[in-house]
Amino acid sequence: KINEHESKTHRTKRRDGDRQKKKRRNERRKGGTRAGEGEEDLQAVSEKRERSKRKRAKSKQETKDNDKDVVRLECLSPEELEKLKEAVDERKKLIQSLRGKPWAMKKKLVTLRESQEFVEKYEGALGKGKGRKLYAYKVLMTKKWMKFQRDFENFKTACIPWEMKIKEIESHFGSSVASYFLFLRWMYGINMILFGLTFGLVMVPEALMGRPYGSMPRKTVPRAEEASAMDFAVLWDFGGYAQYSVLFYGYYNNQRTVGWLKFRMPLSYFLVGVGTVAYSYMVVIRTMARNANESGVGDDNSFNFSWKMFTSWDYLIGNAETADNKFASITTSFKEAILEEQESHKDDNIHLTRFLRVLANFLVLCCLAGSGYLIYFVVRRSQKFALDGLENHTWWERNEVNMVMSLLGMFCPMLFDVISTLENYHPRVALQWQLGRIFALFLGNLYTFIIALMDEINLKRKEEKIVKFNITTWEASLYNGTVSENSTASPVTIHPADVPRGPCWETMVGQEFVRLIISDTMTTYITLLIGDFLRAVLVRFLNYCWCWDLEAGFPSYSEFDVSGNVLGLIFNQGMIWMGSFYAPCLPALNVIRLHVSMYLQCWAVMCCNVPQERVFKASGSNNFYMAMLLVILFLSTLPAIYTIVSIPPSFDCGPFSGKNRMFDVIHETLESDFPPWFSKVFSYASNPGLVLPFILLMVLAIYYLQSTSKSYREANVELKKKLQMQNEENKRKNKRAALKAQMDLEEARMTAQEQQRNNNASVQDQESGSLNSNINKEY
Amino acid sequence: MLMVSPAIALAFLPLLLTLIIRYRYFFVLFYRAVLIRMWKDCVTGLSREERAFQYVLTHATPGDPDSILDTFDVWCSKVEFISNIGPKKGKILDRLLMEHSPLTVLELGAHCGYSTVRIARSLPLGARLYSIEMDQRNAAIAEKVIRLAGFDDDTVELIVNPSDEVIPQLRSDYNLERLDFVFMDHWKKCYLPDLQMLEGSGLLGKGSIILADNVLFPGAPKFLRYIRKSGLYEWRIHRATLEYSKGIRDGMAELVYQGIK
Repeated sequence: KINEHESKTHRTKRRDGDRQKKKRRNERRKGGTRAGEGEEDLQAVSEKRERSKRKRAKSKQETKDNDKDVVRLECLSPEELEKLKEAVDERKKLIQSLRGKPWAMKKKLVTLRESQEFVEKYEGALGKGKGRKLYAYKVLMTKKWMKFQRDFENFKTACIPWEMKIKEIESHFGSSVASYFLFLRWMYGINMILFGLTFGLVMVPEALMGRPYGSMPRKTVPRAEEASAMDFAVLWDFGGYAQYSVLFYGYYNNQRTVGWLKFRMPLSYFLVGVGTVAYSYMVVIRTMARNANESGVGDDNSFNFSWKMFTSWDYLIGNAETADNKFASITTSFKEAILEEQESHKDDNIHLTRFLRVLANFLVLCCLAGSGYLIYFVVRRSQKFALDGLENHTWWERNEVNMVMSLLGMFCPMLFDVISTLENYHPRVALQWQLGRIFALFLGNLYTFIIALMDEINLKRKEEKIVKFNITTWEASLYNGTVSENSTASPVTIHPADVPRGPCWETMVGQEFVRLIISDTMTTYITLLIGDFLRAVLVRFLNYCWCWDLEAGFPSYSEFDVSGNVLGLIFNQGMIWMGSFYAPCLPALNVIRLHVSMYLQCWAVMCCNVPQERVFKASGSNNFYMAMLLVILFLSTLPAIYTIVSIPPSFDCGPFSGKNRMFDVIHETLESDFPPWFSKVFSYASNPGLVLPFILLMVLAIYYLQSTSKSYREANVELKKKLQMQNEENKRKNKRAALKAQMDLEEARMTAQEQQRNNNASVQDQESGSLNSNINKEY
Repeated sequence: MLMVSPAIALAFLPLLLTLIIRYRYFFVLFYRAVLIRMWKDCVTGLSREERAFQYVLTHATPGDPDSILDTFDVWCSKVEFISNIGPKKGKILDRLLMEHSPLTVLELGAHCGYSTVRIARSLPLGARLYSIEMDQRNAAIAEKVIRLAGFDDDTVELIVNPSDEVIPQLRSDYNLERLDFVFMDHWKKCYLPDLQMLEGSGLLGKGSIILADNVLFPGAPKFLRYIRKSGLYEWRIHRATLEYSKGIRDGMAELVYQGIK
């Protein structure tokens, strides 16, 4: 009974306490203005804070109270303000030094939160007199600004195109597949800029301000083709109306300025052509340099197994199957590494492997030669067809060149892959060989194509001479005719479609490239749909009623072929670079292509591919891709520059018609648009006597920079060695110190055993010993 | 008219070569297991199993299981193809039997007795092997092979019936309490239903081992999916190549029954 009574009283007491608290709160809410109570309340609040766990609702109420507090604080006495200021400063200091405090994490977190809240609450109230409000406003604004910045960052990441898609792919397929998509996105960005340049500075001005369609022969479909100019088959081959439009070189007129803006069309055309290539060089080289900086530090075959042990897991993988695969690949990489280690110690039957490697290379060479010959053969045949007239031949025969090139580009890499199993290389080396071979194949195909084009250009130019002669006779006859009829009559108006015209090899080249790009794109998409999607559908659904396991066994799902895709992308870009001078529509087409293939491939990867078994690190090989891109860029600018510099432009079409060479447009501009002194300076500057020393200087500068970078690299290596040495030294020192400490310990123990009285001292010794070793360890 | 030009056809040559080289083992297998078999069936008028038995009868030492197995291996790798478990995967089977020395063993799919002999060879004394074969003619040959190897009725009992009829009757007809070891090598589609039937019959105890051959090629995807999900087993896959063939990957699934935890 007594107990019960006691508990009752206790309860009532507690209730009283509660009531008092409530009362106090009410008073506060009323807005008591006495300073002393404010201080007391402050303490109460902070005391309450010290109790770590609070309910949400309560804290809400408190924030309400806080507002009141802030309002009320205006009326504090200066002393109290000073105190408050000190408290705030202390909290700030606490926040800064929290990291070094030897507390439990939980306590740290709680303290941090509390201190931040405290500072947040009272900081705004500090400051003096009139400045106080401004100060509070400032604090508020900085907070708002910070929040805005954070939101903006989030917004920015949300704005990066396809970021989420790529992240998802990365989580399923690991970083190597994602690297392809990053590369694709990068390509897309570059092509956007190329497209912006050609579209904004060449195509739009011509379409808006140049002479309209039908105003002159080069802008009109000739009478003979008029009937079929709108047929789909013709348009699909970029003939007919598509050929006589801003999409191709031949449509542009050679008038020096167009429109009321006096836009220098030929100059702009030339400079955009040069600028796209220059921009591409700049971007590729800059990216390469940046990548080199990133990957330049690690050399490291020294701790192969440790690296594999601790760094091979890809933490971006987010699904069980991929994790399994990664597990498998890590296991295999370990196996490989062990094998490699063994192989480096003993080499058995080196002759057989050598023989097999030579054989494999021989086979690959045969294959390359065969494919080169096939393309050559097909190109020659297509020239024959072209002489006969394309209408007499089937669609297959007309598109033979592109089809054969696409098919070879698709199937030969597979054959190389099969052949490369003969060589028994390490997978990474094998991959490089594979990349090199595919590169050679594509390059061979491309250059065969270009050489064939050159032949065709020469043919056209021979034709041009004849046509030129014919036209002069035609004009003469026209003139004679008019003269004989009536000398005062206005000159006869002939519809531009009827005027005879010369051939236009530039447009022909542009058309060829556009057709090549289109057929390449089609092949890529069709392969994707058949090779990946259809196969996946068959495997998935036939598996219910098939006599063996289709998923694990023979056809299986396809893997995403990173190297092949990257190379395809690179060569595609090479063709764009080569052809965009003669077909300004190429960057636009490429942008569309890349856009579609981004979505299509993302979908295809997620829907019908399985992760690769042979995974290679993406970051290392990225620069390899870039280097290949650079080589391709160089190789693709070569023919373009050759044609620009050495072949005179067609006399009857294009912005440079009537000039001896295309780059004469610069001379012309210098002479007519710039003050005379400028052209004089330019002519001096282009004097070989000045150019050669300048080139020499540049070579010297490059040599100097290269040698300095080399010396830096050496210095880096030296420093690394030094660090390693120091590390080892430290280790040795630590070991020695630890040994010494142990000896001391032993000694102390001995002494402790011997002399029971000096127990205290020995304990101290021991402590100092362990402390020593600890310090050493930390050091 | 879609006349494809010869050049385009030639461009498909690399693909053809690739396919031939990559899947050469499958072509060889197809040739050996299907074409040769059909031809020999027509020529001799005997079934493949009977031809194999004749060869074994003339070349092996009666009463010596090792010799019989070797002769089978020679015939399967040199003459024709029969999908026995083969010497390499057989080693895994032998090792498992040696390690666990099971007393009651069930074999699903005796075919022509190769695996039966293989199992019976490495069983401990007093152990009993129940072997189930569906096909009458195969069972007759299996019986002969088993007797030729010198195993009597006490060691090996051959049951000629489909497995889905036999398994529910095992407890009542053969007084079985528990199966220590089950070897599956019959129709790949029956793996899953038979496994479920074994679970249902209550013959599996904690630690019972089930070994399923050919789970990757020809493959039993539903079976694998089921054991992954069920949680009743500890399982692993022994990866190997298909019997008597180097390049085709195959595996055996080893399941250890854990029961419901």
